[in-house]
Amino acid sequence: MSKAILSSFVEGAPPGELADVITDIKALTISTPNAVNELGPAFQKYNEEQFVTVKLPGSSQQVIISSHSSLGDGRYYDVESSSSFAFDHTTQKASAVQSHVVEGSQADLVKSTLKSLSTYVKEHFPNAAYGVYPIEDDSKIAILIVSNKYSPNNFWNGRWRSLYIFDPSSSALEGSVKVDVHYYEDGNVRLLTNKPVTATVSSATGAGIVREIAAAERKYQEELNRGFTNLSEGAFKGLRRQLPVTRQKIEWDKVASYRLGQDIGGGSSRR
Amino acid sequence: MADADPFDSALDLLRRLNPKHTSDHLNALITLAPDLAEDLLSSVDQPLTVKRCKQSGRDYLLCDYNRDGDSYRSPWSNQFDPPLDEGGAGGVGAGGSEGAGEGAIPGERVRKMEIKANEAFDIYRELYYEGGVSSVYFWNLDDGFAGVVLLKKSAPQGGSSQGVWDSIHVFEASERGRTTTYRLTSTVILSLSSSNNTLGEMDLSGNMTRQIEQELPVETDESHIANIGRLVEDMELKMRNLLQEVYFGKAKDVVGDLRTIGSLSEGQRDRETHRGIIGSMASR
Repeated sequence: MSKAILSSFVEGAPPGELADVITDIKALTISTPNAVNELGPAFQKYNEEQFVTVKLPGSSQQVIISSHSSLGDGRYYDVESSSSFAFDHTTQKASAVQSHVVEGSQADLVKSTLKSLSTYVKEHFPNAAYGVYPIEDDSKIAILIVSNKYSPNNFWNGRWRSLYIFDPSSSALEGSVKVDVHYYEDGNVRLLTNKPVTATVSSATGAGIVREIAAAERKYQEELNRGFTNLSEGAFKGLRRQLPVTRQKIEWDKVASYRLGQDIGGGSSRR
Repeated sequence: MADADPFDSALDLLRRLNPKHTSDHLNALITLAPDLAEDLLSSVDQPLTVKRCKQSGRDYLLCDYNRDGDSYRSPWSNQFDPPLDEGGAGGVGAGGSEGAGEGAIPGERVRKMEIKANEAFDIYRELYYEGGVSSVYFWNLDDGFAGVVLLKKSAPQGGSSQGVWDSIHVFEASERGRTTTYRLTSTVILSLSSSNNTLGEMDLSGNMTRQIEQELPVETDESHIANIGRLVEDMELKMRNLLQEVYFGKAKDVVGDLRTIGSLSEGQRDRETHRGIIGSMASR
């Protein structure tokens, strides 16, 4: 029971706040100090689903943890640096780096996609990690981007996650973009989005795939910006007016003499 | 390092986990730490529930302050639904005054003010919300009285976007001769969402809390209603602006910090200028 609850807390940790959530969990389970140690599976799920990034020892490059880059037994790999490593899901630290070269029928497509993706990511994401991996017995490739910006001193953190699966046999590109923003100064405000993306890539090259991704993400970000405007001008405005129709604050000394729908010219929907 | 207080940790956790599901997280925390239940339930604001008053046919809002067991008191009829057992009623006993959450029925004078406050905030609701439901509950304190002003409005169903606004204004009025000190704690819970094929799913939900304390002159009990009215009206105006800034300004800016629509290499100079502006705003 409590393990399921604690796991749900871990899975719900906002971007960059897993350590804070774990601190809270420890304080709440002071009588059962082992509780956190039993949350390994929840940490693994969080790290893989959130595309947690880690710096390999001796490198400044961030690499992504995900089910698509998993080798099993707690080891993951990165194509760009041609390395595999052990990853501790609780401490989020990498160790035991080894050489790992991607081979197989998709190796060339993976490398060319990685090259185009690198250029695209550097142009549009100030702080992002990315990866491309052959998946499903070398039949498809997975393309991942994760961009984080943490500003805990200003009480906000954010994450952008893209995941695409490209199927060379059908030239179909399918995936999703998820944005997660948390603002928590004297409150708790969260933006959570999920945008499915489907496209057909006309030229099944790395450059062609990334061109399609770039177009889809640009279109989505513009749509999301319109989404903010629409919610602000639509639902938000419709919930509460900034001022009454009269554009004047209420005269509270005379409020008893107000008659709804008559003197004040407001709505008349009194039930 | 000293061990953190479990109650503070629970509140910190609720400040981090998805605010759209605060009630679920609250229930989970109570399962985990049953001894925190009472403190958590009285300090964590949840979206308000609407109930229809059997006597007046009007809707009213439920919260911990008009609850006695499983029964809730209607501000319009002053009756509990379901009715309380004879002799089981809460209310202001001989010595007890702070009976909120235990079905406190205000004393005669405070109930009179409560009726006036409900009438006044019903007008306020119509002027600002043009719909929705309002309820005001008062209870006696040793040196005055306290109360909660509740407002709820949901966007009409059926559109591609949805929205719910809950206002919870809890105040204490300490009466000292011709002046009264009002301590107001206000929370707005605002959930917005939108979904369609081009946008996908977008959910923008949360809550914000602000406090204010003011000493104001009081001539009659009518002035209490006017004072509380002005305090709540000013606070809601302030909070509406704040919500607008955070929901549609800050959240959007962070998305722009995660990914830029324009090219980073071309926009380098623009961005530095922008950062300068943000920096000077933050340091004001």
